[in-house]
Amino acid sequence: MNASGLEAFFLPAEPGTRFALFYPAQQVKPRGGVLYVHPFAEEMNKSRRMAALQARAFAAAGYSVLQIDLYGCGDSAGDFGDARWDIWHRDLALAADWLANRVAAPVHLWGLRLGATLALDCWRVQPDRFTSALLWQPVANGEAFATQFLRLAVAGDALREGGGGVTTDSLRRRLSGGESIEVAGYTLAPALLSDIDKLRLSDYTLTGAPMHWLEVRGGTATGPSTAAQRVITDWQAKGMNATIEAVNGDSFWATQEIVDAPALVQASMRCYERLVQ
Amino acid sequence: MAMDAQVKALLNDVLQLGGRASEWNDSTPLLGSVPELDSMAVVGIITAMEEEFGFSIADDEISADVFATLGSLTRFVEQKLAA
Repeated sequence: MNASGLEAFFLPAEPGTRFALFYPAQQVKPRGGVLYVHPFAEEMNKSRRMAALQARAFAAAGYSVLQIDLYGCGDSAGDFGDARWDIWHRDLALAADWLANRVAAPVHLWGLRLGATLALDCWRVQPDRFTSALLWQPVANGEAFATQFLRLAVAGDALREGGGGVTTDSLRRRLSGGESIEVAGYTLAPALLSDIDKLRLSDYTLTGAPMHWLEVRGGTATGPSTAAQRVITDWQAKGMNATIEAVNGDSFWATQEIVDAPALVQASMRCYERLVQ
Repeated sequence: MAMDAQVKALLNDVLQLGGRASEWNDSTPLLGSVPELDSMAVVGIITAMEEEFGFSIADDEISADVFATLGSLTRFVEQKLAA
């Protein structure tokens, strides 16, 4: 344990254990617990720093934060190729139980990219478990996201000496034939791809508890993207308590160098002041 | 802004080159010479070009030739915009 009380431990799970980091609230009685859900594959590594910065900001504001590496990811048990969407669901339920028990206060969700989508997917199944959701650049369309991921393998092949000919369609054909494929050093199983393909945020209905979508946009862009705004409009039409806000910054989960997006942390803290009482 | 300047600005942003690309010209080699340019970066550039210029790039258009030099990448964007 260091000065901030950060605890690193392995949470017993099935199968194996999950690596976990706990940032205790910097006050005696926590205002709440926040469960972080990391993004997919390499985006997880790129975003570790921002996840830590935000977790410290939450802890300073009186929230205890739990971050776990999902099955097959980071320092947790299992290989990426064995990861499945339903195992990740169970991992989050387990982590939420641990956190609720530890803080004895409401548990909020916070996720990045596919992690934000996974967080909502879990919330949808267990509506009473969570109190709010903070969505950092969620993946709105799983199929489009999966195709972007497969493109890493297409680019890797095209840039190789004597390469070329691999397409996202040819990769999808191999996957639907039951074959696992390697994409940028990650083994992708057909079952995981098919669950990701099905994800559509606009199909979700979660009425009542608040959720706030934060989009990071670079350059001169102002306001949310058309695609994100469309999901929010669909959600609001269903009576969901959903809001969206765009902040300026780099796409830190995808950039070559590790970068910060300080405006995102500031907007997240403002959101908690407003949404989470 | 001229097309090569737009492409340079995009490379500076996506690859975090700290403005290094602004010094480049058409014959500046990219692939194999710019260490930041791996397959993840190539996909990042493709996605950024699609968003910035509003065209879509098919898988079979992604080739090492396109990313050979700053000039070849700029010509590629010009052709996509003219198509």
